[in-house]
Amino acid sequence: MEVIDGYRPNAPFLDELFEPGGEPRTAALPLVHELERLGADGLMEAGRRRDAIFMQRGITFETGGGSEARAERPFPLDLIPRVISGEEWRTIKRGLAQRIRALNHFVDDVYHAREIVHERLVPWRLVASCPHFARAVHGIRPPGGVYTHVAGCDLVRHSDGTWKVIEDNVRIPSGISYVLENRAAMARLVPELFAAYRVRRVDHYPQLLLGALRAVAPSAESEATVVVWTPGPANPAYFEHAFLARQMGVELVEASDLVVRDDVLYMRTTRGLERAHAVYRRLDDDFVDPLEFRSDSLLGVPGLVRAYRAGSVAIANAFGTGVADDKAIYCFVPEMIRFYLGEEPILENVRTYLLSDPEMLEHVLERLEHLVVKPTGESGGKGVMIGPHAEEAELDRMRAAILADPERWIAQDVVRLSTVPTVAADGTLAPRHVDLRPFAVFGERIDIVPGGLTRVALEEGSLIVNSSRGGGSKDTWVLEDGEDSDRAVAAGFPVADTQPPALPDLRYGAWVGQQQQQQQQQHNGPRTRRGGG
Amino acid sequence: MLARIAHELYWLGRNLARAEFTARAAEAVFHAEIQGAIESSPSVSFGSGGLLAMLGDVDGHAPDDHTLAQLTLDPQHPGSMVASIERAREGARTVRDVISADMWEAINTTTLRMRGSSGGGWNAQTGTHIASQYVKERTALIWGVANRSMLRDEAKCFLDAGGLIEVSDMVLRMLRVALPPGDSPAADGHALILLQAVGGFHAYLRAVTSPPNAHPVARFLLFERGYPDSVAACVDSLHEAFTAADAGPRNSKPVLRVSRLAADLDFQRRALPDGAELTDICEQVQQELARIDQDVADRYFAGAASAGEWR
Repeated sequence: MEVIDGYRPNAPFLDELFEPGGEPRTAALPLVHELERLGADGLMEAGRRRDAIFMQRGITFETGGGSEARAERPFPLDLIPRVISGEEWRTIKRGLAQRIRALNHFVDDVYHAREIVHERLVPWRLVASCPHFARAVHGIRPPGGVYTHVAGCDLVRHSDGTWKVIEDNVRIPSGISYVLENRAAMARLVPELFAAYRVRRVDHYPQLLLGALRAVAPSAESEATVVVWTPGPANPAYFEHAFLARQMGVELVEASDLVVRDDVLYMRTTRGLERAHAVYRRLDDDFVDPLEFRSDSLLGVPGLVRAYRAGSVAIANAFGTGVADDKAIYCFVPEMIRFYLGEEPILENVRTYLLSDPEMLEHVLERLEHLVVKPTGESGGKGVMIGPHAEEAELDRMRAAILADPERWIAQDVVRLSTVPTVAADGTLAPRHVDLRPFAVFGERIDIVPGGLTRVALEEGSLIVNSSRGGGSKDTWVLEDGEDSDRAVAAGFPVADTQPPALPDLRYGAWVGQQQQQQQQQHNGPRTRRGGG
Repeated sequence: MLARIAHELYWLGRNLARAEFTARAAEAVFHAEIQGAIESSPSVSFGSGGLLAMLGDVDGHAPDDHTLAQLTLDPQHPGSMVASIERAREGARTVRDVISADMWEAINTTTLRMRGSSGGGWNAQTGTHIASQYVKERTALIWGVANRSMLRDEAKCFLDAGGLIEVSDMVLRMLRVALPPGDSPAADGHALILLQAVGGFHAYLRAVTSPPNAHPVARFLLFERGYPDSVAACVDSLHEAFTAADAGPRNSKPVLRVSRLAADLDFQRRALPDGAELTDICEQVQQELARIDQDVADRYFAGAASAGEWR
C-alpha cells in the first residue's frame, strides 16, 4: 500500500495514470493494484535485478565526457510502464504517417523542383542556410522516392490531453533498441504487471526495417545485401548499431570495410569484394564521404556519394534529409502537409517563433523567461534553455546570443509535459515528466511500431528527458483492443480452435531387465510410464 | 560396456536435452504470452496449450495460468523440467563411475538447487523465467563439462545419441503442434517464437535471408545442417555416434536406419518446393525416429525399452 499512498499528481500537469484527485484512472486500475501488491520493496528489488541484468548484457550508455570522467551506466529503465489506449494510438499513428509522408515530399522537393519555395510557403534563405542542406545531392532521387526511411518524431502530451509534435528526427533517430530491450526486461522483471493487459508487441521492428531496406535496394538479380554502417564502438549508440545488425542478421560494417569501385559499393570479405545494395548508415552526412562532404573525415568512404548518385546503392536515410528536421523548418511542417497532401494536420505543432523575423524576435526577447529557446541545428537536448527554469544571468547570455545570430535559434512555448508515476530512489512513486518517440519505417509503406520510446525526466520538475542529460525511459504499452491489429488477420482460420495433432506419449526410459521385458511382451502389457516424477 | 550403463547414459542424454528444451520453450511461451496473445496469431500456434500438447499431456485439459509453472516446476508432472532434471540425476547416480566427477557434480548441484527452490521462491510468477534461465545455463555447463572431460568412447557416444534423438524428437513435436495444416501459412513473422523456443534465432538470421515466417522457419529447423539443433544435423550426428559405438556398423539395424533417414532428409530438402506442406514430413520423421529408438533398444540395450509404449 505504501507505494501508492500519498501519490498526488502534480497539477496543472496531466498525469496519465491518475485523476487529478489522486484516484487511479479506470484503465490503470489493474496496474495500480499489481503495483500495490509488489510494494516498495518489490520495486526496489526488481530495480536491483534490472541494473544487474543490464550491466551483464551490456545495455548501457556513457555519461560524462568533456571534463567529467566517462562512466558506463545501466540504461535507466523505470519499472512503471506507460499505458496508451488503442484508440489514442490510432490517432498518433495516422498523424505520424501523414507527417512523415509530408517531410519526405519536402526533401524531394528541396533537391528538385523547389515548388514549395516558389509558392513562397517556405523561404529559400531558410532552407539554404540550414546546416544539413546538402548541395551535393541536388537532383538525386533515390529508389522508390523514399528519403526518410527511418523517422522518429518526438511527441508530448499537453495538459489538455492532446498530443503535439515537438521535434522531427529524420536523420538518424536512435533509441529503438531500448524499446525492444525495455520490453524484454519488463517481461522478465515484473511479469505480474502485464497480467490484466494485452500489450501490442514491438519485437518485429528489426524485420520491418530489414524489409523496408530490401524494398528500396537496387538489386536486380538476387536478394539484396543490407548492411548497418556504424562509426565504430566509440560511438555512444554503438550498442544500438550492433543490436540492429544482429537482430536483422546483417553485417555491421565500419568505413574500412567498405570500398567504392566504379561507382559501386562493395564490402571487403574473406571471399573478396562483395556488393552491398542498401546501407543503413548511423553517422551524419558530414562524415560519410570525404570527397563530397567534410574532407577531413576519417569515418567516410570516398566515392560513396557518386555510387549513390549512380543509383547502385540505397542509403537510409538518404543524404540531405537533415534539411527536414531542422528546427527552423519544423514550423512549416503543417504548411507542408496542406501543400503536398492536401490534408489538415492530425497532430499539431507546438507554437514556435522564428527569430529571423524582426517582429517575432522583439516579441520573444520581451518574454524570454516564459519560453524555451533551442538552437536550430542541434539535437539531443544540446544548448536548450528553458526560460522559466533559467536564472537571470543565463537569460542575459541567451539574449546576447540570440541578438548576435537570430537565425541560429528558435523559441517555443513551454509545453506542459504530461507526467507518469515513476519509481523514486526509495521505492515510492512520484510524478515525472515524459515525452514519446515513436519509430516509423518507410519502405513500400509506412509502418510504425506500437508505442515507442518514452523518455522520462528523472529529476523532480525537470522537463529535459534526453538520456545524455539525466533522463530515463519507460516501457510504452499500446493496448490491443481488437481493432487495427498489426497481425495479418486475412489468411485463414482462427488457429486457437484447431486441435493439436495427437502425438505419441513421451517416454521416460526405465530400465527393464530382459526377463521382465519378455513377460511384458507375452502379456502385451499396459502402457507403462515408469521412472517418471 | 554394460547394456544397462549404455541405457542409462542414453537416457541421461535424453533427460538433459528434454529439460533444456522444456526450459527454452517455456521461456519463449512465457514471454510471448505476456504480450499479445500468441495463441490467436494466425501463422503458428504455440502457447502454453501447445507446449502442454507437445509434452504429451494426454488428458488434454485446457491451459491456464499455472500451466507454465507446472511444466517447469511441478515435480509431480512427469513432463516438467524439474522431473526431467530429477530423472537425469537418478540416471547419473547409477553411472557415477562412468561419467567424470565434474559432470556428476554439475548435475547434482543443479538438481539440489532446483529442489531447494521449487518449493519456495521459484513458484511465484517470476519463477518460470528464473528457473528456465537456470536450467539453460546449467545444461550448457553440463554438456560443456561432458565434452571436455569425457573420453570419446562408447559411453560418450550413447550419452550424445540420447541427447540428439531427444532434441530432434522435441523439435518435431513442436513443429507438429505449431505448424498449421495447409500449404501456405500466413507470412507474418510470428514463427519467431519457434526459433526462440530452440534458441536458434540468431543462427536463423545468419543462415536464412527471409523473415521468420512459418515456412522458412520450419524448413530451417528440419533441414539446415549447419545448425546443430536442426533435425537434419541431429540425425547426421546420431549416425556418427552409432557408427562409432557399434561393433559392426555395416550390418547394424539402427545405423542403417539412421543413415537412410539422413539421406532421406537431404533428398526432401532438395526436392520439396518452397511453401510445400511440412507437417506430414514431420510426422514421418518422428515415426522413423521412434523406430530407430526401438532398434537401439533392441540392439544395444537387449530390448530394454518396452515395445508397448509406442502407439
